[in-house]
Amino acid sequence: MPQLNPSPWFSILLFSWLVFLVIVVPKTMNHTFPNEPTPQSTQAPKTDPWSWPW
Amino acid sequence: MMTSFFDQFMSPSLLGIPLMALAFVLPWLLFPSPAPRWLTNRLLTLQGWFINRFTSQLLLPVNVGGHKWALILASLMLFLISLNMLGLLPYTFTPTTQLSLNMGLAVPLWLGTVLIGLRNQPTAALGHLLPEGTPVPLIPVLIIIETISLFIRPLALGVRLTANLTAGHLLMQLIATAAFVLLPLMPAVAITTSVILLLLTILEVAVAMIQAYVFVLLLSLYLQENV
Repeated sequence: MPQLNPSPWFSILLFSWLVFLVIVVPKTMNHTFPNEPTPQSTQAPKTDPWSWPW
Repeated sequence: MMTSFFDQFMSPSLLGIPLMALAFVLPWLLFPSPAPRWLTNRLLTLQGWFINRFTSQLLLPVNVGGHKWALILASLMLFLISLNMLGLLPYTFTPTTQLSLNMGLAVPLWLGTVLIGLRNQPTAALGHLLPEGTPVPLIPVLIIIETISLFIRPLALGVRLTANLTAGHLLMQLIATAAFVLLPLMPAVAITTSVILLLLTILEVAVAMIQAYVFVLLLSLYLQENV
């Protein structure tokens, strides 16, 4: 089974952690969520439609 | 040398360049970094919603001390789900079929949860080794059993992901080969086999997402126990 082949074992492990820590974690961190959840009011707020900034 | 169906899991290289590097680095082009604006485009909004909702749902049962793990668990989910899903495309390599990657992720993260438990609340962490209400004569046996199950966790975590994805890819290759070989011989059977392949592919899409989720969920569960 090629997964048990020892030669790229360690480099895969190292490279995957490297990619995870250097690329994935900062990308996830960059997503910020500015709105605090507000308690629901009895009346639905009046909203205007907006268009997506493609 | 006989080519076997397992050859798809060998590290691919083209002209001496390990393609594993491409398989690791290119998926993150699908996740653009958000610009500092209140309203972003559809892709970023959807990704942001996913990350936000997933993290809040995942951390619901975890005590406040474990909320430090939010970033690493959310990014781990993103990592695994993208690698799994992209591996389903033809001619792509799935890094998560490699035992080294999965064990390399499972063992340190599991060990982290255990060490946090032992450091901050050693009595409670050791107390998990004996379920409440055990009859007294069974206590030594049960402690041994619980310790074994504790140490099997990282193994199970890593091997579960590897085995599920490897089995899925192997099955797809087998059935596709069968359909292809049968086409000139028995076209009707070949068409049936192609239908089976289609259904299997749909299953594999589900498995790819579920296995990534299960990995992260179990880690959050181990964190829950120790925090």
